[in-house]
Amino acid sequence: MTTTPTSPTSVGLTLVADGVGKTFTSSRRGSVTAIQSIDIAAQPGEFLSIVGPSGCGKSTFLYIVGGFVPATSGQVRIDDKPITGPGLQRGIVFQEFALFPWKTVLGNVVFGLRQAGVPRSERKAKAREFLDLVNLDGIETLYPKELSGGMKQRVAIARTLATDPDILLMDEPFGALDAQTRATLQTELLDIWERTDKTVLFVTHSVEEAIYLSDRVVVLSQRPSTVKEIIDIDLPRPRRREALLAHPDYPVLHRRIWALLHDEVTDG
Amino acid sequence: MGDAVAAAPGTGRRDIGAVLWPLAGFALILLVWETAPRLGLVRPTSIPPASAVFGEMAVILRDSDFWQQTASSSGRWVIGFVIAIAIGVPIGIAMGRSRLAYHAIDPLLTVTYPTPKAALILILVLMFGAGNVSRITIIVLGCLIPITVSAYHGASGIEPKLLWSAQAMGLGKVRTLVRVVLPASLPQVLSGLRIGIAISVFALIASELLIRQSGIGAYLFTFYDLGATLKVWATASIIAIIGFLLDSAFVALTRLSFRWLEGEV
Repeated sequence: MTTTPTSPTSVGLTLVADGVGKTFTSSRRGSVTAIQSIDIAAQPGEFLSIVGPSGCGKSTFLYIVGGFVPATSGQVRIDDKPITGPGLQRGIVFQEFALFPWKTVLGNVVFGLRQAGVPRSERKAKAREFLDLVNLDGIETLYPKELSGGMKQRVAIARTLATDPDILLMDEPFGALDAQTRATLQTELLDIWERTDKTVLFVTHSVEEAIYLSDRVVVLSQRPSTVKEIIDIDLPRPRRREALLAHPDYPVLHRRIWALLHDEVTDG
Repeated sequence: MGDAVAAAPGTGRRDIGAVLWPLAGFALILLVWETAPRLGLVRPTSIPPASAVFGEMAVILRDSDFWQQTASSSGRWVIGFVIAIAIGVPIGIAMGRSRLAYHAIDPLLTVTYPTPKAALILILVLMFGAGNVSRITIIVLGCLIPITVSAYHGASGIEPKLLWSAQAMGLGKVRTLVRVVLPASLPQVLSGLRIGIAISVFALIASELLIRQSGIGAYLFTFYDLGATLKVWATASIIAIIGFLLDSAFVALTRLSFRWLEGEV
C-alpha cells in the first residue's frame, strides 16, 4: 500500500463534484448560500486549481471535498462512491499549516503513519524520507514554534504526503508565505507532483500560481458561486518558471483568467 | 524567558531595568516595613519591623511542630488538588467537545461560581465533622471550578483544522480525543491548574484557621490566641513564601516538561 515517495503510488482516483452546494443557516442571520452549485471532474493525476473572488466559497468547497463540512446539496464521489466524511485517500494542506504544536517536526510526520498502517519500526525512517522530499534536513527535533512559515508548510506537506493520499487538497497553501519562499515551494510541489502522480485540488487567489502549476484552472463566480469557466492550461511540462513566463500563451491565459475574475469583482 | 528573548539586540539596558526595578520595589517595601514600627509610625505590637520578623522565621523553621503541621496540611492539599484535577479536567474537556455535556453542566457552574466557598466550611463540618473529609472537600470545592472552566476553554477553543488534519489521517473519535484534543487543551488546562494552586492553598489555610484541629493554619492561629504577634507575622510570612515557591515550582516544571508551549502558562 505505502511505497517510496519517488515512485508513482497508484493509478489515481477520479474525483467528481456533482452539483455541490452549501447554504449556511444561522438563527440570527437566516440562511446564506455560499455555493450555488459546483460541478467538477478531476481526472486521476490531474493538477486542478480553483480560483475565484474573495468569499466565493472556494475554501468551503475544498472542505466539502475533504469531508470535513457536509454539502447541503449534491455530492462528491470518488471512483463513483459518494464520500461520507474524511478519509485517508484525501490529504489536506491548510494555509495556516495546522501542525500539532506538541509534536516535533519528526513527530508531526510520524503522526499519521500509524493510521496508514506503517509498522512502528519503519515509521521514523519513512518520515525522514518525506522530510527529505520537501528539502528539510536536520530540524527533526525542533517544535513548530521554532520554525519559519516556509519550514512549517514544508513539514505540513511532508506530513500529508506521508499517509500517501491519492488526492491532495491544498487550501491556499502558500498564501501566508513571502514571495520568494512561495516561488520555491511552488517549484518543489511541482517536482513532487510530477514524481507521485497524485490528483491535486489547489485553491488559490493567485492567477500566476494557478497557471504555473495547473493542468486546468476552474474559475468560480461570486457568491453564491457556480463554475464560471474551466480553462485548459496547455503549456509544456515539466515547467520552468522563466520559460513559462516567456511563453507566448502565458499572457493570453493570464489576461483571460484575470478578466473572468475582474468581471466578478466589478459586478459586485 | 519570553521577555529576554523578545528584547531586540542592543536593548540590554532594558534587561537590567527589568531586574533592577522590581528589586527597588521590594527594597522600598522592606525599608518602610523596617522603619515605620521603629519610628513609632505604627505600633510594633501590630506590625513588628521586618528584621524582627525574619529573625523569628528562623526560629519557627527550627520548630519540629511547624514541620509536622506543614506535612499534615500538605497531605490534605495534595489529595484535594488531585481530586479536583481528576474531576475538573475530564468534565471541562467533555463540556468543550460535547454540546450535551456543556448544556448539562454549564448552568451548575454559573450558579456555583460566585458563591463564596468559605461559607460552606461550617456546613461541611456539620455534615462530615471536623476531620479530613470536610477539610479536603473545601479544597476541592475551592479550585474545582477554575480548573473545570479552563479545561473547557482549552477543549472548546481547539483550532478545527487540527482536528480535521487528524481525521484526514484516519484517526477516529477516541484516538482524536487522546492524541489531539488532550494535548491541544493542555496550555489552558495548565493555566487552570496554576489558578487552582493559588485558590486551593487559600482554601486550605482558611479552613484550618476556622476548624483549627491541626495543620499549618491551626498552628498559626494558636500564636494569635496567645497574642504572640511576632510569631503570627513570622508564620504567616513563611506560608506566603511557601505559596510563592509552589507557584514558581509549577511554572518551572511546566516549562521543563513541555518545551513546545508558547508564552506564559
